Amino acid sequence: MIGEVLGHCRIVAKIGEGGMGSVYRAHDEVLRRDVAVKVVNKSVGLDAAASSDLLAEARASSALSHPNICTVHEVGESGGELYIVMELIEGKTLHDLITGTGLPADAVLRYGLQIASALGRAHDRGIVHRDLKSANVLVTPDGLVKVLDFGLAKNLGATVFQGSTRSFATPGETHGVSGTLPYMAPEIFHGEPGDYRTDLWALGVVLYEAASGHLPFEGRTGFEISSAILRELPKPLGPPVPPGLWAVIQRCLVKEPAQRYQTAGEVQAALSAVQSGAILAASQSAERPIPRTTFLHNVRHVKVKKGDFLLLVGTTKGAFILRSDMHRSRWEIGGPYFHGESVYALAYDDRAGRHRIWASTSSYWGTMLRSSDDFGKSWMTPQEATIRFPADTGLSLNNIWQITLGPEDEPDVLYCGVEPAALFESRDDGETWSLVRGLFDHPHRPRWMAGNGGLALHTILLDPEDRQRMYVAISAGGVYRTEDGGATWTAQNRGIRSVATPNKYPEFGQCIHKVAMHPGRPERLFLQSHWGLYRSDDRAETWMDVANGVPSDFGFPLIMHPRNPDCVYIVPVESDQFRCTCDGRLRVYRTRNAGASWEPLMRGLPQKDAYETVLRDALVTDRLSPVGIYVGTRSGQLFVSRDEGKSWQKIMEGLPPVLCIRNTLQQDASAGGSNPVPELPRSTAHSKSSGTRGTKSSNSPSTKRARSSKRSRASKSRGKS
Amino acid sequence: MRITFHLPSALRQFAGGQSSVQVETSGATLADALSALWTLYPGVRDRMATEQGQMREHINVFIGDENVRHTGGLRSRLTPGAEVTILPAVSGG
Repeated sequence: MIGEVLGHCRIVAKIGEGGMGSVYRAHDEVLRRDVAVKVVNKSVGLDAAASSDLLAEARASSALSHPNICTVHEVGESGGELYIVMELIEGKTLHDLITGTGLPADAVLRYGLQIASALGRAHDRGIVHRDLKSANVLVTPDGLVKVLDFGLAKNLGATVFQGSTRSFATPGETHGVSGTLPYMAPEIFHGEPGDYRTDLWALGVVLYEAASGHLPFEGRTGFEISSAILRELPKPLGPPVPPGLWAVIQRCLVKEPAQRYQTAGEVQAALSAVQSGAILAASQSAERPIPRTTFLHNVRHVKVKKGDFLLLVGTTKGAFILRSDMHRSRWEIGGPYFHGESVYALAYDDRAGRHRIWASTSSYWGTMLRSSDDFGKSWMTPQEATIRFPADTGLSLNNIWQITLGPEDEPDVLYCGVEPAALFESRDDGETWSLVRGLFDHPHRPRWMAGNGGLALHTILLDPEDRQRMYVAISAGGVYRTEDGGATWTAQNRGIRSVATPNKYPEFGQCIHKVAMHPGRPERLFLQSHWGLYRSDDRAETWMDVANGVPSDFGFPLIMHPRNPDCVYIVPVESDQFRCTCDGRLRVYRTRNAGASWEPLMRGLPQKDAYETVLRDALVTDRLSPVGIYVGTRSGQLFVSRDEGKSWQKIMEGLPPVLCIRNTLQQDASAGGSNPVPELPRSTAHSKSSGTRGTKSSNSPSTKRARSSKRSRASKSRGKS
Repeated sequence: MRITFHLPSALRQFAGGQSSVQVETSGATLADALSALWTLYPGVRDRMATEQGQMREHINVFIGDENVRHTGGLRSRLTPGAEVTILPAVSGG
């Protein structure tokens, strides 16, 4: 072979031999450059069709131009021999570089990132490698990775991989299987053709091998190896392999392709995060002095006493606390808290004797969860963000859209719905939070789409009769329900129209704006969609359209009367394009017959030139009797109805755009008059304890337990006004 | 080498109220110096960077007068005595 000419390349020396043939150093005598030429063994026995396929695939691969892909210059046939002319790379294969106990983590991350980048480019062009392995990855002395043999495996098929790479074929299969046994994904053994995710599995094997020095699935025979791939979990990698890297490898090596990373870009992002995380981890330290700082300026505080009624208002520029009594007619205004930050979510936690306000604050310095036990006089501000996406997800928190309390008898349980759409859970009173993986790993998740406000999980509903059942709503993803405490979730959107997909009634993907459940009749839910108003009487199994006589079925908020399960309030806006109240009139609509008909409620609300928008959490009821309804607008007006919607009064105007409203009664046993209605199954609105406490620190007996030593250690700072 | 960080008012509460902080670093890059700063003040870290280690979108870091977005980001080289300024971008509504 030495001295022969293939095309215009003269063979100079043999530099390697593999299952599919020999590789030579050659000189391109026309372009005057050194190249590598791979000559496919005749013994491989390609027929004419297979040869032609191989040539076509090699030509397609030659179109891949990427710094981490070995460039294919030319493919050809000479004297019945197929040859591939490619970039000559000085370097060693990753397989040869990996020593006994594996490579240092930073090297694994550097190489892994480059391989993922190469796969990403090829996958974008519709090319699947199908035989990614450490022997197909070259590393130059500068640390540059070059992935070899893209797309060649498919056409060379089962017959090629003999000798040094063990072959595997299913007898009788016409297409055979391609790849190298220890790197093959489980689905290949099930006879599936494999796709991009097959390469991501192989990437996981390569990363495991590079990090540990051995393969994740080993055996003495092909049968043992394939059994391990199909049935066994890889042995965990501990230090010095960083936990983040191990997490990425695990997600590549999930048996079910739908549960793996779905794109090479996701793996790249996750590896990149682990790489950056090395900087972060290096800076994590345990105990240090707590910085005590002042961060509230010119803030008025309300002085809360027993019997006071409080309205908590979140706006795009901060939060306000409005104080009144059970008559709800005169209001004292406290705030603004969190100057300039958006407060998308507020919650009042009165469980276990607390009187704690939770707030999510968002600015270009990030999104944080904060709490106050003294009605805003001081706020717990975490030093380090408590809600954070794990490194293997590659995602970062954009916003917290909803804070929901857990059951009454689990007072340390809290949930947050966030953007990008995910559910977080805390079981220690907000001290630490974890991603609810059952929902995050749902195969639908990669196909949820961001709406105008981002891809947000904004509604969380707990069934008071069954603690295993919970609902969440995602814009735009749909309604999901769990019946097993969050382990598994199903899409529950039957009957809900979608305007953004060709299929008008898809399984999921609807842009849900709000869902409400009646606490006394939890099988009943009402739903405001992006066009569409629905009711379900069977725990979201089926939904029926109840937009009977509303001026528009487009809108954002939807709330239920706290006692009457047939009574619902909404604020329709004209359309998707013009998200303002219909005809310039601010009208709340109410049904008292479960959606059979709707009536406008307008007395006291502006009925001329009022082009208002009411956002999804800016309409709430209280639980007093008669029920109070509160509505806040994007133009910063705040209204109250103290007679269940019949008439309205303006509480204030000139607020920043209102994002959310919550309320609470500081219950006073001696207060006469209105009945605070304690018969409800779940109370989130009434405090059972006294009002004000000390103003400087959280040291009351009732909260001392909750404010554990963990809470007061260095991870949190206390801001005081 | 010694590096001086100048902090905007929003971050001072997470750095003991200081408007500038000096750190000692043996590395030569911005990442090394930030690592030293963030070890002292993790509250500053979580306001500057996402949990995945990406600098937040509207946060600018300058070495001298040069925005590091144009000089290699976290890999930007530092010289002894460098002054690093952290500022929010002019943005928002």
